Amino acid sequence: MSAFIVRRLLLSIPTLFGVLLVAFLLLYVAPGDPVQAMVGERADEATIARLRKELRLDDPLPVQFGHYLAGIVKGDLGKSYITNRPIKKDIIERFPKTLQLAGAAMLLATILGVTLGVLSARNPGGLIDRLGLGVAYLGISFPVYWVGLLLILLFAVTLHWLPPSGFGGLRYLVLPALALGMRSIAFLARMTRSAMLDALSADYVRTARAKGLPELLVVGRHALRNAMIPIITVLGLDFGAYLTGSILTETIFSWPGLGRYVVNAIARRDLPAIQGSVLFLSAVFVLVNLITDIAYAKADPRVTYS
Amino acid sequence: MRRLPALFCAVVLSACGGGGDGANRRTIIDSRDQYDPRSLDPALSTDVPTGRAVGYLFDGLTRFTPDAKVSPALATSWDVSPEGSVYTFHLRRGVSFTDGTPFVARQVALSWQRVLDPKVKGGRGWPLYPIKGAKEFADGKTTSIEGLSAPNDSTVVVTLKEPFAIFPKLLAMPVASIAPDRVGPNFGENPIGTGPWKLVEWKHDDYLLFSPNKNYWGGAPKADSLKARIIAEPSTAVAEFESSNVDVLQIPQGDIRSWEEDTERRKLLASTPSLELVYVAINTTRGPLKDVRVRQALNHAIDRRVLVRNLIAGRGELASGVVPPELPGGDKTRIGYQFDTLRAKQLLRDAGYPNGIDVDLWTSTNPIYVRIAETLQGYLALSGIRVKIVQRESAAAREAARKGQTDLFVKDWYADYPDAENFLYPLLHSANKGVGGNVSYFSNAQFDSLVTLARREQDEVKRVALYKQADELAFHEAPMIFLYFYNELYAVQSWIKGFVPPVIFNGQSWTTVTKTSSAKKTP
Repeated sequence: MSAFIVRRLLLSIPTLFGVLLVAFLLLYVAPGDPVQAMVGERADEATIARLRKELRLDDPLPVQFGHYLAGIVKGDLGKSYITNRPIKKDIIERFPKTLQLAGAAMLLATILGVTLGVLSARNPGGLIDRLGLGVAYLGISFPVYWVGLLLILLFAVTLHWLPPSGFGGLRYLVLPALALGMRSIAFLARMTRSAMLDALSADYVRTARAKGLPELLVVGRHALRNAMIPIITVLGLDFGAYLTGSILTETIFSWPGLGRYVVNAIARRDLPAIQGSVLFLSAVFVLVNLITDIAYAKADPRVTYS
Repeated sequence: MRRLPALFCAVVLSACGGGGDGANRRTIIDSRDQYDPRSLDPALSTDVPTGRAVGYLFDGLTRFTPDAKVSPALATSWDVSPEGSVYTFHLRRGVSFTDGTPFVARQVALSWQRVLDPKVKGGRGWPLYPIKGAKEFADGKTTSIEGLSAPNDSTVVVTLKEPFAIFPKLLAMPVASIAPDRVGPNFGENPIGTGPWKLVEWKHDDYLLFSPNKNYWGGAPKADSLKARIIAEPSTAVAEFESSNVDVLQIPQGDIRSWEEDTERRKLLASTPSLELVYVAINTTRGPLKDVRVRQALNHAIDRRVLVRNLIAGRGELASGVVPPELPGGDKTRIGYQFDTLRAKQLLRDAGYPNGIDVDLWTSTNPIYVRIAETLQGYLALSGIRVKIVQRESAAAREAARKGQTDLFVKDWYADYPDAENFLYPLLHSANKGVGGNVSYFSNAQFDSLVTLARREQDEVKRVALYKQADELAFHEAPMIFLYFYNELYAVQSWIKGFVPPVIFNGQSWTTVTKTSSAKKTP
């Protein structure tokens, strides 16, 4: 197992290098000049030329890339063109908040989604199953932006139960986590339902029931454990996606996470901030995928890595 | 069953404290910033949130009142030499920075040097370029600024390159604020100024919290503290206002009607002319647009009255020139271009385009500009002007316009200081083509000389007359489709007293604003 992990980590280096190169080239060809964004509405050519030189934007592309790469190797993500703050500091400040939001969303999704799925599968066609289907349809088809605004209108403006936006204690977390996790709840509910239906009709479940095990153990230990693989896949992919920027959710709920940081950086053409974030988020994504793969083996002893 | 929601609500409310305790909150909360300030270093203040926060923490030699008058700040008075190029500023005595350091003239010179210093990478030197030698210093050709000296602790002498009568107005811009002698590498995060507020904490992308500077020379702020929340999504800011969590809201341009037509909400509204011109820059160097008749045809082809009524609920004054009517030099009597399709077609025929023309109309993704672009497309088609709308993210659209790659570009222009020059010179003087602000690439010798003369003119009456002439000329040359001057709309909670909506974005420093705790909650 540890050899597998080391190999995967080593393999991630070329992956990240590729990501970095593509991000660098894309930003180079995309319209929009960082210096123009820096100077604001009124400027002069001399200032722009001077700043370009100061930021080494006029160097040949390979030189710029090499310069940037040299910094990365030393663990230096550079400084923001716009704010002059070190990118690393900015990311360290914001990532825990994104992690918190993504974690809460995944927790909600796991609890609500899996429960709904299991209950639906226990009695297909029943009330809970039909209700679950409705929830799944809505969760998958409603855009997060709209759901977010509706949640704010209902729970904050009308009912005054929760604050509309901002960062703080648990009560600030509920609405954004719900908005963000909505799609996963829906997806997991359906996924769990079908996996559980398969599992519940399997021979070993009949055996478990026949030997007189309580229903909770039959469903919880025997059926659910075997239905875990697709659930883990969905969880892993969604968690990775949430960590790499719940941009819309963070924007609607004024959540000071990495998603908004990246959006601001893009709007201001803050190249080092964009590249640094892309690199960091890719690393996170690779890591989450690795953890997902390891979790497969934990859930299903037949899966082995060597 | 009916009573359950109310009961549940009461239980949850007491458990988690919900929102809506606005009147009892002691901090005043502003919701206008949509993104995190760039820095709190005055030398880096090139955007609105930065400029606003810098205005709370620092003072310039002059400042703006909410109604856009320029009043003395760190300078109590100034003398101007007869020919108008030497300014002697007499500084306020007994002022200290919040760390206790006394404010002296030397710091003025140092602060402005920092703004111009290439190493600081601020990028906004132009308000100080009128100073003799400032541009040379900024370009790295000299090591000091020739026209800047501090003969003693309470006097600053500024020699300008040439007479520039409105120079003191530019000094109220955030970038010209005064910082202490020593500015560490973290100054942008831990600023020290002489301003009415001190920074308590800055949570990036979340909020900035300020406490009163008890020793403020202009009288300490009356409120307990001031919080500037950063709310990216305008609908969220509205929700926060409705939940009584914020005290002041800038109403999104597209939402005006729903506020004005609601009897409860309407009571909270406050309006101000914002010295913001919304217009369509016409690139006067491209194809048929070189012809003044075509540009006039574009102006005649649209019904601005309907546009203003339907898109911004009538909250704009139709523009018939680039100078806002509130400013000296703006002409309230000039009759703007009338909606006249026949006249537009005639003008196109006269210019040699009987079959109409094809143009690109660029816009950013800002929803109100997109709607303007679509409306214009419909009107222009009536006169045979076929419009292709090009929509780009704002930085990309602006850059294309600056490079002269756009035919028409929907945009706006906010005043940095209250003077007609702030519209005439950057938007249409040939010295500012492209990045300077003149994306019409307008170049007219007579206009240039009128504006240049006005900038030098010491006599206010004569200067205003020159502004009027220049504006008149611009109006007839039509280097833009003149749309409207927007009147900003604010909502202010009933418990806030003394808030006057600022005409210039950094014109409200909240020193006299208070919260009354006895106020009733909004429904």
